[in-house]
Amino acid sequence: MSWVRCLLVAVTVVSLPLAGLAHIVVEAPWHPLAHAYRSAVFLINLRPTDWGLVERAFTAGDAPGAVGRPAREQLIELDAATGSAHWPAIEQAIAAQDRDALFAAATRAVSQAIRHHLGEAAEHLREPGAASRELDEARALYRSLADFIQEADPTGFHDVGLAWLELASSIGHAGVVAVGAKPADEVAFAAARAAIGSYLIANYEPDALADRTRYAPIPEQQFQANPEREVTAWLPPGSDLNDQDPLPRLVLNFEEGGIDERDLFLVAFGDMLFDSPEIFGEPARSLGLACSTCHNRSDINQRLFIPGITPRPGVIDVDGSFFNARFNDHRDDPVDIPSLRGIRFTAPYGRDGRFASLRDFTRNVIVNEFAGPEPGPLVLDALVTYMLEFDFLPAPYLNFDGTLNELAPPAARRGEALFQRPFPQMGNRSCASCHLPDSHFTDNRVHNIGSAEDGYDAGLSGAYDTPTLLGTNYTAPYFHDGSLDTLADVVAWFDQRFALGLSDDDRADLTAYLEVVGTGDQPYEAFDGEHTPFRLMVDELSVFLSTLDTLIPARDQAAADLVLRTVAADMAADASAMTNRAALEKTHELADLLWQLRDMIAAAEWDEAERLWLAYQGLEQQYDPELR
Amino acid sequence: MNPLLNRRAFAWLGAVLLLIPAVAPAALAQQEPLRIAFIPQENPEKLLGDIEVITDYLSGEIGVPVEGFVTLDHAAAVEALRGGGADISFSGALPYVLAHDQVGAEVLLSEVYRGRPYYVARIFVRKGSGIDELPDLEGKTIAFADPISESGYLYPLETIADAGLIERGDDPQRFFKRVYFAGGYQQAIQAVANGLVDAAGVSEFADLLLSPEQQRQVKWIAESEPIPAHAVIARKDLDPSLKQKFVDAMLKLNEPENRWLLQHVYAPDGYVKATHDAYEPVAIVARRYGLLS
Repeated sequence: MSWVRCLLVAVTVVSLPLAGLAHIVVEAPWHPLAHAYRSAVFLINLRPTDWGLVERAFTAGDAPGAVGRPAREQLIELDAATGSAHWPAIEQAIAAQDRDALFAAATRAVSQAIRHHLGEAAEHLREPGAASRELDEARALYRSLADFIQEADPTGFHDVGLAWLELASSIGHAGVVAVGAKPADEVAFAAARAAIGSYLIANYEPDALADRTRYAPIPEQQFQANPEREVTAWLPPGSDLNDQDPLPRLVLNFEEGGIDERDLFLVAFGDMLFDSPEIFGEPARSLGLACSTCHNRSDINQRLFIPGITPRPGVIDVDGSFFNARFNDHRDDPVDIPSLRGIRFTAPYGRDGRFASLRDFTRNVIVNEFAGPEPGPLVLDALVTYMLEFDFLPAPYLNFDGTLNELAPPAARRGEALFQRPFPQMGNRSCASCHLPDSHFTDNRVHNIGSAEDGYDAGLSGAYDTPTLLGTNYTAPYFHDGSLDTLADVVAWFDQRFALGLSDDDRADLTAYLEVVGTGDQPYEAFDGEHTPFRLMVDELSVFLSTLDTLIPARDQAAADLVLRTVAADMAADASAMTNRAALEKTHELADLLWQLRDMIAAAEWDEAERLWLAYQGLEQQYDPELR
Repeated sequence: MNPLLNRRAFAWLGAVLLLIPAVAPAALAQQEPLRIAFIPQENPEKLLGDIEVITDYLSGEIGVPVEGFVTLDHAAAVEALRGGGADISFSGALPYVLAHDQVGAEVLLSEVYRGRPYYVARIFVRKGSGIDELPDLEGKTIAFADPISESGYLYPLETIADAGLIERGDDPQRFFKRVYFAGGYQQAIQAVANGLVDAAGVSEFADLLLSPEQQRQVKWIAESEPIPAHAVIARKDLDPSLKQKFVDAMLKLNEPENRWLLQHVYAPDGYVKATHDAYEPVAIVARRYGLLS
């Protein structure tokens, strides 16, 4: 698994790894105008485009990941200060739902805002504190363009980067209580400012931008030289692909039975695939998305968030235009990420139960939802075999048949009776008619309970799969679309929808019952000084690599390559989560050795590959005590 | 984010001398408040939320209202101590010794990271650049964080001087092709990772500000003597009993039931009592470079 699926953003802030906390990569807060610009450009690439969201990108003051007053206010101030009309142009483009006009106006506005703040810095060079603030603001705005310049125009990026360094060096310093004060070098500052200004004018403020169908702030000169250029996948500000914290505990059936995963080739290979972006296509692959990104440790990821694609954390529309334009259903139909615990008992699959087979469902995720290549039989067999090992959390208040045991509190017992009581308003059925206690609290069918509006008059398309109630204390929000926050909300919804006439006490008892049924032993991974997130990753990657003991002798080039690409990339990325920073280079050395092994296998140099594989195992054993 | 990583992050907020009075218990409202200056880092809005949590805690422990506010930078915090706008401030080691010298500030506590109340500065370079030891830096370019920075300038410079490559007090540009002040640790280490400069002299934690992929591309070739960690300092003449109560309350953050609160004050592992002696080495270095007489 990857604890540090890094958002490929220009700047990240990395929290120091602290014992007991999963390591995370946190995006540094954005300047509001840079945030609005990147968000809007991302959103206009989506089909259909949510123009309400585009407008909010400029006008809202509560955007995740942004700090400061809304972009609209800043643009109005910029217009007043410079005599320009950026905000009216942007506002007009949004009203007209004109993507080209919006891209042109917003790009020009950001570029001019950078130049404006550099101009203000130059004006205040005799006041180093004031000049520094303007420079910082210009630099924070430049961040919205920098990674695209770096990718498309490395030479330009280098030259402009040196100019920014020159600005910071020549701006002077106010000192601390006047100690160490240093005057600005106005000549050097002016030259560097001019270099940045001319680059911005040439590339972001031309009289007219070339036509395009996909939008990204690539320098215009580079875009015109190569309009077909593919841009590395990127996400808007505020996106969060980190694993949730606390991290769910994974319960695997074989492991509870004392069987070593290394002895289960297909399971170990499936475990690796579950954590591999390599089975998906673009953009998921470049973004580092894997099955485990949404299903942390077989459960869910309550923090997963991509503005425009996830209406709220943990809820995602996987059949829009972003991940696979061919699979775009042009519907706003996000689904709450389901837990995969106990998945062998919870067929059918998909929130509306459209797949009877887990294998068919898995193929659909790979090929259609995330644009991956057609998976071979080994890939599907392994993924399914692995997932079939996912067990529910042990349930401390339940007997084997789903009835409450003697540990359950009285309120839950009263709730159990209500849960079993047939209601005429529900066709003389009870809650337990669908959530069968002795069948993992599901009947493995779909029902239309009126929880969603049909897409058209008299339609009957709103039926959804009966979810299990096991482990649900840890899987909020609820319902197929994640529209309800708590289990009490779910009880209240049923009470109202079916006019059950429950009293306050009844609702409290039923909620208490759901909470008791939804309780699991040790729902989260418990980390400490020894069992760190990085250590957990090292152990997992070691299991993944154990499949090479089968694949190298079998000369299975494709499967071995997949293992090595996945593990080497994960190991290098996760190294930043090490608490023992002194051993960082050793982790990099191991990752590099895996890349070499991959090269040997790609060249079908099997003897050398076997030698390297042995060398790797020796080195891993040697370094193991330091890998934490 | 570790404050040892931070300099003047997010100063684009511009006018952020964010005077945010913390919520004080009503019964304490009539008393003179204890005013604490926080140095901005990471997300200033988050810091404001943090301040409320920690000032509420301190109010309860000390028995007087506690107000917190975020200053623009270290210099502004020292100015606030001098002008009476702040009674207590979080501070880097160098700003503290300057404040001690100029306005009589007193150090009360040191932060502890990874079990120690000190850290080091390092010289980072790109792997495969052919720069493997300090003498290789001759005629190369280097980025420091800021001219008034212990780990982002003075200590890396000391390390180079200790190696006999520059004379203390001499212009380092005689050894390097060019010296830049990038404006912060992040900008300096990014300049190395992006190939803009050959080296950076910054805090040992600065590479954590790079993406995992960039972290693979850099290495460090030398590290400084230990630098006393960031401190909590008081203005001259602060009431001794109030000072003692504040220190006691802060040290209680080390206790298991209070450790969660550390997340709201720059997330150190804890605090230890500190005296000026621990910071004297920084003063010595500052004198060598003319920042103290």
